[in-house]
Amino acid sequence: MARRIVFAVLALAAVGWPFLVENRYLTHIAVLVTISMTLALSLNMMLRIGQLSVVHAAFMGLGAYTSALLSMRLGLPFLLAFPAAGLLVAAIAAALGPVFLRVKGVYFVLLTFALGEGIVLIFQEWVSLFGGNNGIYGIPKASLLGFAMSTPRAYYLFGLCLAGIAFLVAVRIFRSALGAVLDSLNENEDLSQSLGVNARSYRVCVFTVSGFFAGLGGSVYAHYTSFLSPEAFSFWTLVDLLVINVVGGIASPIGPVVGAILLVPLPELLRDAKQYQMLTYGLLLMTFVIFLPSGIVGGIRDLRRRRRT
Amino acid sequence: MLGLSLQIVLNGVTTGLVYVLMALGFTLIFGIMRVVNFAHGELYMAAAFAIYVLNGKLGWNYVPAIVFSVAFAGLLGSVLERVLFRRVIGNEFNCMILALAVSIALQSVALIAFGPDEVGAPRPVTGVLRLGPAVIPADRLFVGGMAMLLLAAFYVFLNKTHLGLMMRAVAQDAEIAALHGIQPKLIHTAAFGIGSLLAGAAGALMAPVYTVFPYMGELPMMKAFIVVVLGGLGSLPGAVIGGLLLGIVESAFATMLGTTVAALVAFGVVVAIIAIRPEGLMGRRA
Repeated sequence: MARRIVFAVLALAAVGWPFLVENRYLTHIAVLVTISMTLALSLNMMLRIGQLSVVHAAFMGLGAYTSALLSMRLGLPFLLAFPAAGLLVAAIAAALGPVFLRVKGVYFVLLTFALGEGIVLIFQEWVSLFGGNNGIYGIPKASLLGFAMSTPRAYYLFGLCLAGIAFLVAVRIFRSALGAVLDSLNENEDLSQSLGVNARSYRVCVFTVSGFFAGLGGSVYAHYTSFLSPEAFSFWTLVDLLVINVVGGIASPIGPVVGAILLVPLPELLRDAKQYQMLTYGLLLMTFVIFLPSGIVGGIRDLRRRRRT
Repeated sequence: MLGLSLQIVLNGVTTGLVYVLMALGFTLIFGIMRVVNFAHGELYMAAAFAIYVLNGKLGWNYVPAIVFSVAFAGLLGSVLERVLFRRVIGNEFNCMILALAVSIALQSVALIAFGPDEVGAPRPVTGVLRLGPAVIPADRLFVGGMAMLLLAAFYVFLNKTHLGLMMRAVAQDAEIAALHGIQPKLIHTAAFGIGSLLAGAAGALMAPVYTVFPYMGELPMMKAFIVVVLGGLGSLPGAVIGGLLLGIVESAFATMLGTTVAALVAFGVVVAIIAIRPEGLMGRRA
């Protein structure tokens, strides 16, 4: 019991410290952690069904631009622009899913890569709408029901709630009947199909939910940074999300949560040296794929299981 | 109009031949090891930097420099296979992640060693040739000719030598090949080396034509990926046809509608091909 209380206090401190410590910079990093966490969880849902989606950085961008343009051009409040960003990306995912999810593995990677590059190319070339490579400035800060979110703390709270919801949804999806079906598909697709499981519609469902959260994450990012440019949604953003997942562990939603907490602050430490950040990412990925392919969370789980037996 | 068409075809074929060099190595590695080598572009970049250093900085002659650079890329590829890829082979997802990691790491090493600026390698061939109404830069023609020579050499290697026969056997059916006493591990190292050699040749040939910089491999790698999907993953004839096709189609769209439209069309074609015929134009159904 005492142990539980200590654990609860520690957890509360880990989550609530930005409200106790008065440090704008650290809180800023905490906001970035929550946004990356949401996006990494969204990518994790795809990895759980065995598909590496490279389009998720562009999905985030679509959400970000949608939300920014709706609030700037049409004057929509954040309360409408935010869900609209998620719904638009979800709709695109739902529309493309039936075609895209016919293929697996490498082919899916290439399809999503081509789509992602195409989307970013449109951000760059359609200057009148997306502002081209110069990007969009002065995106209004978000406000909820008259309460303006002007401080990093407000965004931290909002981002935390969003990441929390994404986490719960990721857990729910894979624990539900849908999760059992998806597991059976990973286990033996032919056999489950012979039992009448329509594999593709389940996967399209996950792709849609995953796209929804990528769009929402992008929207928070847009209103928090108040500046968007196409390069923020390039392949490198996807690499960040992938590293978070691989290091944390892709087999459960806890993996990307742990990964985001550990890795998002890292570029801030190596801020002046992009090349060393890249080197670190490359070596981290190599090390984990070769020596600990199940990531930190998977590794701890294996260790515990071994100790028990 | 005839002049324009000729120009488009000439531009397309010279670019396409470089795509073919890249795509052949990429598809060879996939066909034999089931590894999608995202680091293929970095082998191209490594050879280009080798040319830049040897020919440009140390003043070697062009011919020994090119031989050494290509050999360097081949060796680098074999070492990567021996040290890294061998450990994850058989797991497609982990192979992809590892290849991505190698790509990022090699880029960062080049960034640390040479900085982010684009540098130029000395140009061994200059001037233009006129072919009727069309104009063709001599250096592109040189690259195209060398690429064709290499393709011929690769064809002979694959079809007339013992090692080539063993490679084809492993690509067709690794288990049966092993039953016949072919060591798959040896073939893996050799295939990765030769695939990297071809990427290195493309990089070394293109270094004087374009500029040399750490991210230079990304575009050719992407093109190789597109070509290979067009032609069918693992299919060598598919890579040749796909490469020339992409070169000519791109050249046509770039001339008439601009490069952005050309890139969007290439992506659109890829999406359509995978959606309709995932095994590619020349691929076998798995």
